[in-house]
Amino acid sequence: MSIKIDAVIAGQPIRVTRTRAEAEPLCVAARVSACLAIAATLAACGPIPPSPASAPRPTTGPGSAQTQPEPPDTQRPLPPVEREQPSRPPPKTFALGPASLALVSQAHKQAQGGDYGEAATTIERALRIEPNNPLLWIEMGDVRMGEHNPAQADAMGRKALSLATGDPQTQAAAWHLVSNALRAQGRNQEAAEADKKALGSTPR
Amino acid sequence: MYLSKKGRFRKIFWRSALGIVLVGLIALGAYAWYLDGIVTRQFEGRRWTLPAHVYAAPLELYAGLPLTEFDIKHELARLQYRQVDKLERPGTYREQGARIDVALRPATFADESRPASILTIQTGPKAVAGLRDSAGKEVPLARFEPLMIGSIFPIHGEDRIVVTPNDVPPMLPAALKAVEDRKFDTHHGIDPEAMFRALWVDLRSGQIEQGGSTLTQQLVKSYFLDSRQTMSRKLREAIMALELEAHFSKSDLMNAYINEIFLGQDGDRAVHGFGLASQFYFGKPLSELDLSEVATLVAIVRGPSYYDPRRHAQRALARRDLVLKLMAERGVVSQRDAKAAQARPLGVSARASGSYFPGYLDFVRRVLRRDYHEEDLTRAGLRIYTNLEPRAQEQAELSLDRELARLDKNKKYPDAALEGAVVITTPQSGDVIAIVGGRNVAYDGFNRALDARRQFGSLVKPFIYLTALETGRYTAATIVQDQPVQIKLQDGTVWKPENFTKQTYGPVPLVRALAESLNLATIGVGMDIGIPKVAQTLQRFGLERPVPQVPSMLLGTLEVAPIEAAQLYNGLANGGFRSPLRAVRAVISEDGKKIKAFPLEVTPVAAPEAVYALDRMMEQVMEHGTGRSAHLVLPNNLVVAGKSGTSSDLRDSWFAGFSGSHVVVVWVGYDDDLPTGLTGSAGALPVWTRIMAGLEETSWDAPMPESLAEAWIDYPTGQKVEKGCSEDAVPIAVPVGTELPVKPGCTQQPNSLQSIVERAGEWLRDMMHR
Repeated sequence: MSIKIDAVIAGQPIRVTRTRAEAEPLCVAARVSACLAIAATLAACGPIPPSPASAPRPTTGPGSAQTQPEPPDTQRPLPPVEREQPSRPPPKTFALGPASLALVSQAHKQAQGGDYGEAATTIERALRIEPNNPLLWIEMGDVRMGEHNPAQADAMGRKALSLATGDPQTQAAAWHLVSNALRAQGRNQEAAEADKKALGSTPR
Repeated sequence: MYLSKKGRFRKIFWRSALGIVLVGLIALGAYAWYLDGIVTRQFEGRRWTLPAHVYAAPLELYAGLPLTEFDIKHELARLQYRQVDKLERPGTYREQGARIDVALRPATFADESRPASILTIQTGPKAVAGLRDSAGKEVPLARFEPLMIGSIFPIHGEDRIVVTPNDVPPMLPAALKAVEDRKFDTHHGIDPEAMFRALWVDLRSGQIEQGGSTLTQQLVKSYFLDSRQTMSRKLREAIMALELEAHFSKSDLMNAYINEIFLGQDGDRAVHGFGLASQFYFGKPLSELDLSEVATLVAIVRGPSYYDPRRHAQRALARRDLVLKLMAERGVVSQRDAKAAQARPLGVSARASGSYFPGYLDFVRRVLRRDYHEEDLTRAGLRIYTNLEPRAQEQAELSLDRELARLDKNKKYPDAALEGAVVITTPQSGDVIAIVGGRNVAYDGFNRALDARRQFGSLVKPFIYLTALETGRYTAATIVQDQPVQIKLQDGTVWKPENFTKQTYGPVPLVRALAESLNLATIGVGMDIGIPKVAQTLQRFGLERPVPQVPSMLLGTLEVAPIEAAQLYNGLANGGFRSPLRAVRAVISEDGKKIKAFPLEVTPVAAPEAVYALDRMMEQVMEHGTGRSAHLVLPNNLVVAGKSGTSSDLRDSWFAGFSGSHVVVVWVGYDDDLPTGLTGSAGALPVWTRIMAGLEETSWDAPMPESLAEAWIDYPTGQKVEKGCSEDAVPIAVPVGTELPVKPGCTQQPNSLQSIVERAGEWLRDMMHR
């Protein structure tokens, strides 16, 4: 993803281009607890990062896996300019921000009480805060499964997959959802394919 | 004989007189009994028909929400929160350094109710830093109550918000008694002394004027009778007032009066009751009104149109002061308080009921009419929760208004005013957050956002290119020929389309054909993949009308309304997932049950890889193509994607595009389809840009699918380059392993000078955004 800057140096316009900030691992400091909390339901949180102190500061730039909304920070030093063809970003781990986390746990309670409609409303609130977080789309898919709506659960899983690029754990969780949704529709062969992809995504 | 005759006559006279009186009394008794039936039946089981009330989306607060202290205070002002030094009752807030303490009102949302509570918002330079509750404990999120944005009221137009005695400030009944009916607490429905005094005035002036009616009589008049002023009606009113008093308590009657009485007119809408009047004139609940505001409403009772505080402020002010004087004289308030209140301005809100967004409400009504009878909407007291975001709506209205005014200055037709429409959605959920149906936002008429079906123009091109990418035979770097085209149509004529510039551009990469909206190249691509396939793509993305299967469709001759364009572009912004656009979140019944929800739905409708590659091409529209002037206003580091549209003879000027947070569609043109002289870039783009600049935008930043790779090509030729090698290098996304022809002379090693320049550019950019 690129950002263009037109800079004028010595009277000559020069177009300078910068790749978007690269993704960075995320299960850091404040989010450790978030990851732990959802790990049980999602099996989606990767190994807890080595040490919060040494963890990179999550950037707010585009392409970041950072999921906690923050004000744009223009003070932050820009990543070094890349000259090589961009390589695959290192694996990242999505996590929920505190607001979403509170809503997800509320939704789980509602779903446990059988109130899937309210649970869906609650997940939607979280999605309005973090629309690009695949974990929330997986949550929504789980609610749709509870509502016996496997077609939408499947679609939610695919939406999650489109956002989970670079996060094998989340991809695996999304493929699991897709597989369950397909099986619930009697599409067993496709479900088996999805299972394979889930296994393929899970890092060993 | 004479005497006897006379005696007999007298006898007959008296007998008949007695008879007449008896019959009269019986008739009156029967009439009274009949009226009594009406009074008890109708009043006992009284239920005001309650129009559906419509609410905007509540503002969700959380740490990181990109609102400054200024923005938050603006939101509080919109909800009519009052800034105070010391927090008192709900509806007030105070500012202390980098924190705002808010006494939140009790609120009902679509999913829950919340009691009044204290919330502390810690503000930061760019975003909310944190939230705390009254005990100082950190809370992850909180929300302001939703703004009421209107009602769906019946044809005869009665709109009201019913209040209970608990919602009523005690000053209000006291003021009503002091001004309208001094003996309310003791009379039996009528006040003969006041009546005779009024009658005397009426007789002398030779006509019947208002006055002398007790509150009970006024209630009868409003509740049971029409507005004609005849003697028999006066009699009926008096009897019914006596009967009401016999059956019901004074407090019941006062509460009925407060909810019933007419207090203003807003177009077709009749404002009834103090509950709604408080919202209508002051934008806040009745319980929060101060003395001056209560006195203003009491002043209006006597003549809502004559004393309209918005149109006749001086009159209303004078009568308010009279009300305050009477209140002081009758000991309801102290002289000092009355004087202080008299010194205050009227303080009515500029816009009726705080805000009123007819274009959006129109959409809400149409959505609901699919599921509900008119009766249910206008009488059943439903609460409708919508996705309207007042901030975005205001930004859209303002941007359209300002830019059209500017464009009108150089207009072609001095007598015609340019019109326009705007739709804003959120890409991932398909929420419609703003709709502007025309320039005159207060006018509840022709809604161009929904009903102006206009030629789509070049807005159709992304769907042609998407279809091409989906075939796997095209990438953004594929060279297509922009050359003269002649197509023989079914009727035997030959169609010879041209580019907008009347020039041809020869071989160009696909990305450039889209960015510069080249007609001839596009027709070549469209004819190659086939018109039916393009039509199917449009339908997959949610176009419900049939698409004419003719070649001119490739230049956008099909007609769509802005809301349909928003549906189509929402799918592009949402990575190829269609989410039906939603204005309504939920419908809640009068007793608080959710009776209808519009759940979030997504349906994959296109290959995510193709959509991603297309979106990257649309990014180049903003960098190199017809949308590039947007970046004169938008921050350089904000990534947006979009497409301009211009229909034949410049009749329609479109721009549709998206950031990471919003899809915005703008149409500009004349209602009677005159040519505007404006391209999409000249007419709709400035409106679009202004809206984008005014909203808190995040960059469009979808993750690249793993089967794609980024490549840099030379924009004019489509040849692969190293980023630093060409002045005109643009990034595209192509399937992994795609072999692209390399630009001659472009070595694999970037030259070191270029890299220094690159770094200088970075440094400059960093400086600029400090």
